[in-house]
Amino acid sequence: MTPRLSLYVPGDTPLHRVPAAWKLAALLLSGVGMFLVTSPAVLGPCAGLAAGALLSVRTPPRQLARHLTGPFVVLALVVVAAVVFQSAATAATVGLRLAALLLAALAVTLTTRTSEILDVLERVLRPLERTRLVNAAAVGLAVSLALRFIPEAFHRFHEIREAQAARGLSGSPLALLVPLAVRMLKSAEDIAAAVDARCYPPPPAARRADAAPSPARSPAPAGRTDEEATG
Amino acid sequence: MMNAHTARGRTARRRMETKDVVLIALFCAIIVVLGLVPPVDLGVAGVPITLQTLGVMLAGAVLGPVRGALACALVVLLTIAGLPVLAGGRGGFGVIPGPTGGYLLGWIPGAFVTGLLVTVLATRPRSRLARQAATAAACLVGGILVVYALGVPWTSVSTGLSLRQSTVTALYFLPGDAVKAVVAGLVAHNVRQAYPIERR
Amino acid sequence: MRIVLESVTVRFGSRTVLHDIGLELSESRVGVIGPNGSGKSTLARLFNGLVLPGEGTVRVDGLDTSEDARAVRERVGFVFQNPDNQIVLPIVREDLAFGLKNTGVPRREIPERVERQLEHFGIAHLADRPSHALSGGEKQLVALASVLVMRPDLVVLDEPTTLLDLRNRNVIRAAVEALPQQAVVLTHDLDLLTGFDRVLVLDGGRVVHDGKPRTAVPWYVEHCS
Repeated sequence: MTPRLSLYVPGDTPLHRVPAAWKLAALLLSGVGMFLVTSPAVLGPCAGLAAGALLSVRTPPRQLARHLTGPFVVLALVVVAAVVFQSAATAATVGLRLAALLLAALAVTLTTRTSEILDVLERVLRPLERTRLVNAAAVGLAVSLALRFIPEAFHRFHEIREAQAARGLSGSPLALLVPLAVRMLKSAEDIAAAVDARCYPPPPAARRADAAPSPARSPAPAGRTDEEATG
Repeated sequence: MMNAHTARGRTARRRMETKDVVLIALFCAIIVVLGLVPPVDLGVAGVPITLQTLGVMLAGAVLGPVRGALACALVVLLTIAGLPVLAGGRGGFGVIPGPTGGYLLGWIPGAFVTGLLVTVLATRPRSRLARQAATAAACLVGGILVVYALGVPWTSVSTGLSLRQSTVTALYFLPGDAVKAVVAGLVAHNVRQAYPIERR
Repeated sequence: MRIVLESVTVRFGSRTVLHDIGLELSESRVGVIGPNGSGKSTLARLFNGLVLPGEGTVRVDGLDTSEDARAVRERVGFVFQNPDNQIVLPIVREDLAFGLKNTGVPRREIPERVERQLEHFGIAHLADRPSHALSGGEKQLVALASVLVMRPDLVVLDEPTTLLDLRNRNVIRAAVEALPQQAVVLTHDLDLLTGFDRVLVLDGGRVVHDGKPRTAVPWYVEHCS
């Protein structure tokens, strides 16, 4: 019993075939754009367009309903609150804007693999690397490790909960969380050692180009292979 | 192992090491899992609440400001990337412009401030009780005040509610969050006693 | 390849874990045994620069681990005791590719090398499985594969069979025996040492016996149990 860790639905619709970078850029631009517009006459067609995009993905209706229930309950609350506290016009603006954004975002989420989104992210981060504030390799590793250890943490949480139940302790958050956090902290040392042992971090050359043949086996110039390995 | 590993070549400004990346990822996993597991009844007005934001405060209080904030940033990143990592299996880019988007983004400075305050307040006092109280206070300020400071105006922009009205909405969650902050303070204190790590 | 330790001392805080060790290892199969806390793991971690000596030097093929840790790690593979902590990426195939990407193997060569390594261990069917869902034995095989795919000259294995049931223990034993590389194996599993060229017995941070398995194992059983 482990959580399913992706919303991606395999398929071959037009939206599946659009490169991830375009989809994300469009989402970002339309997101910003729609907050600048207040006229329901513009936002209405936007929401319609987003709904059309989502339908073009041809996700099984039941699955679609499951994804939409939660957000639409929130949306309904927002609209009701806006009608009560503000005006019907504001409610229309806010409701249509949120609906358009939710539907469009879901359409992108359902048709884009997580790995594609992360690739785009890495491409965006790479130019920032020169500022020395961002390390694209470290971000990539962190994402991968998190995906690897979410099921692990889930599993450990249930192990601890069962152990507590067996000893007659009913899920006190304190009794659950302290052992969970301590176990995770303890394994951090070993995981870091395992990552280091497999030659992380990649040398800058390996990050940049696939073209250059690996100089891995040539004797390293004395004392200057990789400062990060010992630093 | 770490002692020997870092014994040599320690530079003046300590750079991000593999273990830091690992800790960030592990606490990101903890935050996600606390949103996935069934809500726990903490005994506030009978409202079951998820423990996800407790994980946020914990990240700051245990790991320290920088790594705590980065663990939360990683959760935000996974959310944007379309993974259902938020409480109730929510995820996807659509969360950000939604009414709760500000709270999610607020986790990052929230964990940072929590970590900073724990470092400043909770490492000095001698008595155990005082340290626990200080850690809990840090979680209250970072995990609630800072997070709400971003979340409330965001809700107002996203939904068209006035600031006052979105503040009222937030107040509904305040009791639960306050209990979580106290629990987070206790958990963080016990974790740090059982397994002290250098805070950053 | 040769690993040479010259008067190596390792301290963690105020505790001395290894006392003034001098060693030269070049045999094809070296076993290291000793009670828990005798310093085995620390000794093994010296061989690929995961632990650096406080005093003395460790040289692998002439490379000082304190200076060339990266070059050393490309030559010395390390298999950890607990595969749960060693498999670092979410999908088996990605995990095997991790080390290759780090060592700058050209991207187009990576899939084939991963495939071949998995086939070699008869676990090609696991390639697209999430790593957390594997059985204990499968995890240890994947951990071993992810190290061997990097083609190290020497493999250090830290108690590779300790966490396994009997059947998986045999699978891993066979895999270790069949390694074409040099190997240093830390173990409590004394049967594993049959046919080894040399066995070191560690106790209290010192090498207390050094010889063939036929003498070292009985010595260990008599003195350390």
